[in-house]
Amino acid sequence: MSVPDYMQCAEDHQTLLVVVQPVGIVSEENFFRIYKRISSVSQISVRDSQRALYIRYRHHYPPENSEWGDFQTHRKVVGLITITDCFSAKDWPQIFEKFHVQKEIYGSTLYDSRLFVFGLQGEIAEQPRTDVAFYPSYEDCATVEKRIEDFVESLFIVLESKRLDRATDKSGDKIPLLCVPFEKKDFVGLDTDRRSKWEGSLQWWRGKGAVHWVSDFLKLSGTDFAALEGLCSASVIYHYPGGTGGKAGARRFPGSALPAEAANRHRPGALTTNGINADTSTEIGRAKNCLSPEDIIEKYKEAISYYSKYKNAGVIELEACVKAVRVLAIQKRSMEASEFLQNAVYINLRQLSEEEKIQRYSILSELYELIGFHRKSAFFKRVAAMQCVAPSISEPGWRACYKLLLETLPGYSLSLDPQDFNKGTHRGWAAVQMRLLHELVYASRRMGNPALSVRHLSFLLQTMLDFLSDQEKKDVTQSLENYTSKCPGTMELLTLPDGLTLPPVPFTKLPIVRRVKLLDLPASLRPQKMKSSLGPSVSAKSPFIYSPIIAHSRGEERSKKIDFQWVQGDVCEVQLMVYNPMPFELRVENMGLLTSGVEFESLPAALSLPAESGLYPVTLVGVPQTTGTITVSGYHTTVFGVFSDCLLDSLPGIKTSGSTVEVIPALPRLQISTSLPRSAHSLQPSSGDEISTNVSVQLYNGETQQLVVRLENIGMEPLEKLEVTSKILTTKEKLYGDFLSWKLEDTLAQFPLQPGKVATFTISIKVKLDFSCQENLLQDLSDDGISVSGFPLCSPFRQVVRPRVESKPVNAAEGGRPGEPCHVKTLEAVLNFKYSGGPGHVEGYYRNLALGLHVEVEPSVFFTRVSTLPATSTRQCHLLLDVFNATEHELSVGARSDEELILHAGECQRMAIQVDKFNFESFPESPADKGQFANSKHLEEERQEARGLEINSKLDIHWTIISFSQTRGASVEGLLNQLVLEHLQLAPLLWDVLVDGQPCDCQAAACRVGDPVRLEVRLTNRSPRSVGPFALSVVPFQDHQNGVHSYDLRHAVSFVGSGTFYLDKVQPSGQAACLGALLFLYTGDFFLHIRFHEDGPSKELPPSWFCLPSVHVRALEAQA
Amino acid sequence: MAVCVAVIAKENYPLYIRSIPTENELKFHYMVHTSLDVVDEKISAMGKALVDQRELYLGLLYPTEDYKVYGYVTNSKVKFVMVVDSSNTALRDNEIRSMFRKLHNSYTDVMCNPFYNPGDRIQSRAFDGMVTSMMIQARRGKESLVARAPGAWSPEEAAKGGAEDL
Repeated sequence: MSVPDYMQCAEDHQTLLVVVQPVGIVSEENFFRIYKRISSVSQISVRDSQRALYIRYRHHYPPENSEWGDFQTHRKVVGLITITDCFSAKDWPQIFEKFHVQKEIYGSTLYDSRLFVFGLQGEIAEQPRTDVAFYPSYEDCATVEKRIEDFVESLFIVLESKRLDRATDKSGDKIPLLCVPFEKKDFVGLDTDRRSKWEGSLQWWRGKGAVHWVSDFLKLSGTDFAALEGLCSASVIYHYPGGTGGKAGARRFPGSALPAEAANRHRPGALTTNGINADTSTEIGRAKNCLSPEDIIEKYKEAISYYSKYKNAGVIELEACVKAVRVLAIQKRSMEASEFLQNAVYINLRQLSEEEKIQRYSILSELYELIGFHRKSAFFKRVAAMQCVAPSISEPGWRACYKLLLETLPGYSLSLDPQDFNKGTHRGWAAVQMRLLHELVYASRRMGNPALSVRHLSFLLQTMLDFLSDQEKKDVTQSLENYTSKCPGTMELLTLPDGLTLPPVPFTKLPIVRRVKLLDLPASLRPQKMKSSLGPSVSAKSPFIYSPIIAHSRGEERSKKIDFQWVQGDVCEVQLMVYNPMPFELRVENMGLLTSGVEFESLPAALSLPAESGLYPVTLVGVPQTTGTITVSGYHTTVFGVFSDCLLDSLPGIKTSGSTVEVIPALPRLQISTSLPRSAHSLQPSSGDEISTNVSVQLYNGETQQLVVRLENIGMEPLEKLEVTSKILTTKEKLYGDFLSWKLEDTLAQFPLQPGKVATFTISIKVKLDFSCQENLLQDLSDDGISVSGFPLCSPFRQVVRPRVESKPVNAAEGGRPGEPCHVKTLEAVLNFKYSGGPGHVEGYYRNLALGLHVEVEPSVFFTRVSTLPATSTRQCHLLLDVFNATEHELSVGARSDEELILHAGECQRMAIQVDKFNFESFPESPADKGQFANSKHLEEERQEARGLEINSKLDIHWTIISFSQTRGASVEGLLNQLVLEHLQLAPLLWDVLVDGQPCDCQAAACRVGDPVRLEVRLTNRSPRSVGPFALSVVPFQDHQNGVHSYDLRHAVSFVGSGTFYLDKVQPSGQAACLGALLFLYTGDFFLHIRFHEDGPSKELPPSWFCLPSVHVRALEAQA
Repeated sequence: MAVCVAVIAKENYPLYIRSIPTENELKFHYMVHTSLDVVDEKISAMGKALVDQRELYLGLLYPTEDYKVYGYVTNSKVKFVMVVDSSNTALRDNEIRSMFRKLHNSYTDVMCNPFYNPGDRIQSRAFDGMVTSMMIQARRGKESLVARAPGAWSPEEAAKGGAEDL
């Protein structure tokens, strides 16, 4: 007796053991078909008896296990059924012989036997025999069950007769002393009172004989401790009629409802009324003799402690432990059960075969599971799995090992679904879980299922990443790569033959994605909605500027949908911030987007992330092929040969700003290239717009350049509409004239522009900045003392004025450039090309392409000083300009048609231009009309600007770099200050002095001595207000041309009438005149100085208004 | 005394585990892991008792051939498991009890560290030192007690521990 039957439970004590075996060659399938049918007859009510008979069938039972049959009768083979194939009568004797041999094996204990012959027909089969049954085939054997019942009945009769023999036998002495097998060999050392004990127990059993069928067999048991166990068994069977073996409903009690039993089964100590029969008297008797649930365990303990005294009773002890555990499991006494199990673990049987070890560990695992010790159960199951592939086994059962390992998963609280690990940090016993996963990987590999091992390894890497050491990470990934080289990892569900499915393992941690951001198209491709004239966008909004409620709801909406659009057919981008947790470089291949809603062509990328990288931006691109609403649901990768589909929803700790975007119909794409070189300059950050292209050009101040823009439609849709606008970003520099100007009509004539076609567009850039030297100039002007009352007849002169730079030699030396204070200036502008076409145009979208223009303006000429000299005529004056050549080239400067002035680099010369005075008042005062909001200062500035423009156009100053032979304009606008302007301005009070009715301006008026000369001063008021009255006095003097003016001319000139003129108040645009006369007494050149009397309101008016020409009168000899 | 000391979180994952024969660490992992079955069973059996009357010390969880496994559970269901060489018969129940109490005190100190996130692995040097002292004690016997009280909390230690946590 060496092979323990781990499946045994207490109920088995009430059964008869019948061995069913094949003889000859019987296919396994056929044998088990019949075996199954036979086993279905597990319980029989014997006729004329109230007892139910239970039969235990075994198809494999070592004969030596029957040795303990005297001790516990359920271990004794009492019946044998053999099954055989026989197709010809020839074989029959041989088969029958084999049947007998088989009978011999179990012979010592057998009460009866049967032979089932299949296939044999004919005369042998005709013979009626009790011990042999013939069936034509495995299909045609309807009476098998009936035969078995008969067979069991015959067994019963044998047993019953034996019992009756014992019962009637009054003398106990005659009862043979029963021995356990080892006692037969070794009859010494047993306590002497055993016999009496045995007697007692037997007597006791006898009295209790009616309790149960099993007790009849127990009487046959030889030893006292067996009796203890038997008592336990009987009580167990009584208390737990549902059975303890875990096979619910396996046993049926006649006339009882199974569900009721099942309900009672788990109630420890519950007495069931659904006994074997309804005889109340026996019921009471049983209850009295029965052990209480607590006692059962006590007795089991006692029994086991007896067993343990004998080394040879190991199997019995082990089985008793198992039985006790089953009982305790039902009683929910896990702690005690675990003690029994712990004991069972240490029962040393003889050297076990590997198979037996596996069986033993499995059963331990099962029992631990039964008492709710899942971890312990998993531990033993794992040990069993390892045993399956122990090195000592010639053919390792990897399949079995794998299957057992899978069963341990719940014990280690591990599921194979990576979804379970997404919730927060991993909370599990990583060390043991990792070990198990490694074993699963190895087992599945040895099983020859690489897909499975790849799946397990991916799972290990994905879920245990935080617990793997750097070296382990390397090892795991290396082996994963090895596996995937043969069998790439997929996203498909793997289904095991036993129905378990392994969900796919997406590598959401390789790399870890921290943030997903859908990117707007680049500014040049961003679609914009044309504002419809009806303005629905305005009406949709709340009339309130701010409302917290609306803002809130809008915020929610926004979280789902992003408020920009993608365009069909255009490459769209999604930016991921990824992180490589591995200690080595991570190669991610085939990384692309997963989308829904719109047909999307994903363009996968491959990337390589450095070890332990920080957040690393990765841009995934794709092209939407249709329009609608697209949702980016995730991304796919291939890492270490494993394909993963990572859904954003299941990623923990990911930041996303929405993943839904509208895709609008296709729009054309415009590419622009220009005649100018592209520049790396980016425009000032304040520009607002995003500039796709920047071009730069270097121009001298005053220069004009043509910018040719080449417009190419590189999209798939025709370009139908184009609008160009410009925006000048530089506000610091004062610009004169139109900076950018263009004519769009020529270009538009080429539209619509088909894909691939090119159109050109010309823009002229004109830079005209301030030509003045800014602040320096004003000072110069003030100390230069432009005097209105300069020498009246001074003619314009040219002279080389020492350039100011000479006074700063250090600066000049350092800067190496003559115009040190006037450095290079920068002008920036943005040209916006709004274009549209194709289906997108129909939907009302357009695109905006911005071209940044960066112009560096180099100084060309400067007007370092400006001054005016009154010309001989009051209607004219001389404008004196000190021109400085700031370039490194030779320049020629000219104004209107005057001759050119040649300037060397760094040279400064004065140039004089005779100009007519300007009558600014005749300009329409447009700013004054609408400039209500502008302050007066602003108004004044505008006016001055307008004047500047007028002057400039009159002057038309231009310069040419001789070597370039290109004429550029220059402007004096910026340098005309108020003072100069006033001089250039035609005074609003127009004074005319007439001598003898002739306007006297530049030439000397001639008159005769002695004749009175009529002098008329005429005033025309052009100012908007009334002026006057004025008093004028005429002072004659003589200029001796040596600096001496002689005013004492009383003897030479006399006035006819008053020497003082009075002018009345003159209304706007009115005229006034006063007349007087002079009489020259001598010949000579006289000058008349008309002077205003100091008093009067004239002081309020600017002095330049009272600029009267000096009158030069030449008195000639009187005519004879 | 102890060959393995483990602190197990309420959710039954290890916060701290250390064993002396480092070469076969996994064995102790399994041993401690399976002992949780018994701990669970004992806790559920205790469940009915009033909280303040509850005994934290669980006693012997189970013996193996070479070792004895003892358990202790705090009121917050954090478990301490100690594996003791079964050959060391000198060890009495009371001594085991006091060792657990020491362990509990030290664990409380760890929890007092503001830089420690409950649920993280314990990386405190002070706790480590205390566990080491328990194990070394086991090696040398009773006479060699480490002078420093293992449970003593010092700001330097806390700062160090905190830095490690961070």
